[in-house]
Amino acid sequence: MPKKTTVPGSLKNYFCDKCQKVIGFQFDVRLPRYRGNMVSLINGYYVNVDGVEYPQDQILFILNGKGPRTFAQLKSAVWEHWNYRDAATLLVLKDGGLEKGEHSVIATVSNFEQYGYMPGKDEKRVADGGEAVTAQGTGFGGPAEPMIMTIE
Amino acid sequence: MAIHRGVSSYSYQNLIFDRKMDHRDFIRTVREDLDTDGIELIDETFIDDYPFLSEEFEYDWKNTIARYNMKSVTMDIYLDVLQFRDHVMNYAEATERLKRDIIIASRLGFENVRCLISIPVPVIEAALPTAEKYNVRIGQEIHAPMPLVLKPDTPNRLHFHAPIDEVDRMIEMIERTGTKHAGFVPDMGLFQHGLTPIMYAQALRSGAPEEAVAFLKEKKGTLPNAELQTIMTEQFGAEIVAKMGRLIMTQGSAEPKELLKVCPYILSIHGKFYEMVEDPTVPGGYYDPSTDYAEIFKYLQEGGFDGYINSELEGQGYCNDLPDAEMLDEREQVRRQHEMFKALGAV
Repeated sequence: MPKKTTVPGSLKNYFCDKCQKVIGFQFDVRLPRYRGNMVSLINGYYVNVDGVEYPQDQILFILNGKGPRTFAQLKSAVWEHWNYRDAATLLVLKDGGLEKGEHSVIATVSNFEQYGYMPGKDEKRVADGGEAVTAQGTGFGGPAEPMIMTIE
Repeated sequence: MAIHRGVSSYSYQNLIFDRKMDHRDFIRTVREDLDTDGIELIDETFIDDYPFLSEEFEYDWKNTIARYNMKSVTMDIYLDVLQFRDHVMNYAEATERLKRDIIIASRLGFENVRCLISIPVPVIEAALPTAEKYNVRIGQEIHAPMPLVLKPDTPNRLHFHAPIDEVDRMIEMIERTGTKHAGFVPDMGLFQHGLTPIMYAQALRSGAPEEAVAFLKEKKGTLPNAELQTIMTEQFGAEIVAKMGRLIMTQGSAEPKELLKVCPYILSIHGKFYEMVEDPTVPGGYYDPSTDYAEIFKYLQEGGFDGYINSELEGQGYCNDLPDAEMLDEREQVRRQHEMFKALGAV
């Protein structure tokens, strides 16, 4: 289990070219284990910045050169791999983004990568609504310690 | 007939995560640090765009193996049964995935694939024609808390999802079909009876009182875990014991002599360890305080095991709260384990 899965120094505000304003902030994340897995298995991310939790529908996922996707969209990426050494970018929608200075960032993944069959849990996870995304992450959620990052 | 030495890429997971080691560095490191040739690969660590193995990676892997005169022994494969998200993968789909993995392993020159213990025997049996066609053997992992031999006090359920008598079911299938392309990859964590210094140190850092850790250090292994837990609860309170529960209850699920039962079916071995410690009685010698490798080697030799034991270092997690400079030195740890392997008779 790696020490840090949030990539240091990656926090910045997100400027939307189309709407000509800052619509949120972004930072990079790595998989919390020792191997990659299918993108479809990413169920969601618990994101807490400066004590504020962001709901799943305010978080978008960027990987493999594709535009921002919702977690619902990731479900169909059943043959797309999140390569182990690649970082994904989480785009968190927040009007005006974050203020300049230090911020405390927690991001833990809900990932359905697992050791084979888990009867009982499996059925719950494929059911509509899947499984709640919590601070502890799901399965191997990664370290929940906050990382302090700065917006220049 | 000999016990050969190798390394699983799992051992270097922090170096790989930090992008300080790619597949070429991994292969070269095993040759240069350890003067041996055994290579075990976690497939989805290095194979980008899995399961679509690129020709570039295939050629580069085989070229690097050839350059350092190495051997691709075992490729570790997985089974994410929720890949399709709208349903749990059925056995036919699981078989397709296993067959695909066998073909990937064959293209990379591996002799074996290691599948998880939770891969049902009928799935393995259904993939046998592919294993035979590509001449890649399917090794089902045997991992704690799975027993090798059922006893009256064996729990009837495991915390993961495989039948308690999975080892017997697998042997039955191998004997019934007569296949030469299926067997076991036992993980030596099966025999882990004790703890190592990094575990005690982490317990202290996470707030366990010194007296409780010292007590555990002194008593672990001298009496049954349940009894130890009761005594520690009386002495230190339930809250502290709950925090230290994982260490108190650590227990293997088999005895080294039971290796004789599965020895004829072993394809390769996971040399699981957490930390190697200097042996004060032997200059340059090391031992594993948690697992009796001398006993393990004794029974492997008695059982006529001819194959690879591949290092699988798993102690990193106990040091991840430390500054980088104090974290476990993965290369040094693996080097120490190989010194022990050689001292015990591995070539």
